[in-house]
Amino acid sequence: MKTRLPVFVAFISGALMIIAFFGRGTVVDAVSEEALTWQTIVGGFALLLGAVSIVRVHWQKISTRHTDRYYSVGLLICFAVMAGSGVLFGIGGGTLFDHLFQRIQAPMMSTMFSVLAFFIASAAYRAFRARSVSSAILLLAAIVVMLGRIPMGQYVYHGLPAWADWIMTVPSMAVQRGILIGAALGAASMSLRIMLGIERTYLGRG
Amino acid sequence: MSEERSGQQVLRAPFWQRLQSVDRRILYSLIFASVIIPVLWPLHLPTLVTPESRAFFNAVDSLPSGSVVLFPFDFWPSTLPETEPMAIAALRHCFRKNLRVVGLSNVGMGGPSIADRLLDSIGAEFHKSYGADYVNLGYKANYSAVMLGMGSRIADIFPADHRGTRLEDIPLMRQVPNYDSVKFVLIISDNAMTDYWVALVNARYGLPMVAGVTAIMAPKMLSYMHSRQLMGLLGGMKGAAEYEQLIGRPDKASRGMDAQSLIHFLIIVFIVLGNAGYFMSRRHRTRLGQV
Repeated sequence: MKTRLPVFVAFISGALMIIAFFGRGTVVDAVSEEALTWQTIVGGFALLLGAVSIVRVHWQKISTRHTDRYYSVGLLICFAVMAGSGVLFGIGGGTLFDHLFQRIQAPMMSTMFSVLAFFIASAAYRAFRARSVSSAILLLAAIVVMLGRIPMGQYVYHGLPAWADWIMTVPSMAVQRGILIGAALGAASMSLRIMLGIERTYLGRG
Repeated sequence: MSEERSGQQVLRAPFWQRLQSVDRRILYSLIFASVIIPVLWPLHLPTLVTPESRAFFNAVDSLPSGSVVLFPFDFWPSTLPETEPMAIAALRHCFRKNLRVVGLSNVGMGGPSIADRLLDSIGAEFHKSYGADYVNLGYKANYSAVMLGMGSRIADIFPADHRGTRLEDIPLMRQVPNYDSVKFVLIISDNAMTDYWVALVNARYGLPMVAGVTAIMAPKMLSYMHSRQLMGLLGGMKGAAEYEQLIGRPDKASRGMDAQSLIHFLIIVFIVLGNAGYFMSRRHRTRLGQV
């Protein structure tokens, strides 16, 4: 029963969504709408579970005097301040939560992301070597696209932007389409495996 | 003489090897300078408009005045330098065309706050009022349920907006019960949400859409553009700069393109130098019979 009931629920839910996708305005569609509302509520609980989990993990690190416990203290303080300010004073524009987010968190996250430019430049310089024919082709394509996508590229050679566009829209897109189709087929087959009860890892067993 | 030449070669070799291992502090300093110099002294390099960006502009521009545009702010604060200029330019275009904007976010951390700030600031530029010309629905967990559920009844998914006002009390939302009243979807995203908007909303409800995405996502999104699932595409800061140019309002992205140009150029120079060093030192080792 522990296995059959979740598999049954998964099958019904999956089948419902597939039928509803092709039959707008039908009874199944109406039932699927209700299921979607439930899904957002379940999603809310999943977020709560995540919050509880992160507090537990870091509290454990502090209580066991883990070497990284100071980071955990920092995380829990920030967590409490952000959550507390949101719950007590609201999250709309101009609130304490909004100030903390707009003036501290967002700039910090942007800075972390921007620092990547330094590492990418360093890594590209050290690792990007034309050691074989295929890596030489990759290198050449990268240089053409990088130059062709910036305003300076047209000064180097006026045809570079067109070359860059060709690389992006022909060979690169062919590969992207292959990846997309492969991923979609994989997702479809995985969904079928879950619906039919072949894939049961989400139940905590293989 | 031969020994002397050989000795010179031995002395010359470290230069090519040194080319392959320039101190990263020098590299970082040059990158830092490449960002700072164009900010202080803009180069005003012209940006060529790609067909994808022009198609994006034309799609928004062809919408009749008063049309409702669904505007998902599906990006994290970390990519703000790329995504924010796109969102600002798109909002300016929408408000200038008197389109009504329904904002929302499928990114819990920061999405709704960013949406609120941008909608309010750009709305104020065009004297638009909250509730009549634009609204921010905020965030709800579980993007697939949100995207599909809004097709039936938006109020079921978002009973209230980001500020806590019930949807039935918002004049704009009283006219937008579901996707049937939405003319267009304008996605700004830095993650897989664009795939879901295409796969769930475009495929099922047939809503026309355009997307502004980070540069790294653009090659993948091009395939949606060419299969006409997306009507237009902005790729990274360059896409944003092109859009700013098209709406006749150069801003952050146009300024950022100078820095991006210099950094791209610098990276290419270093890659070429590194490879020159690699080939010359390999040739040198071959001559000496080490390879």
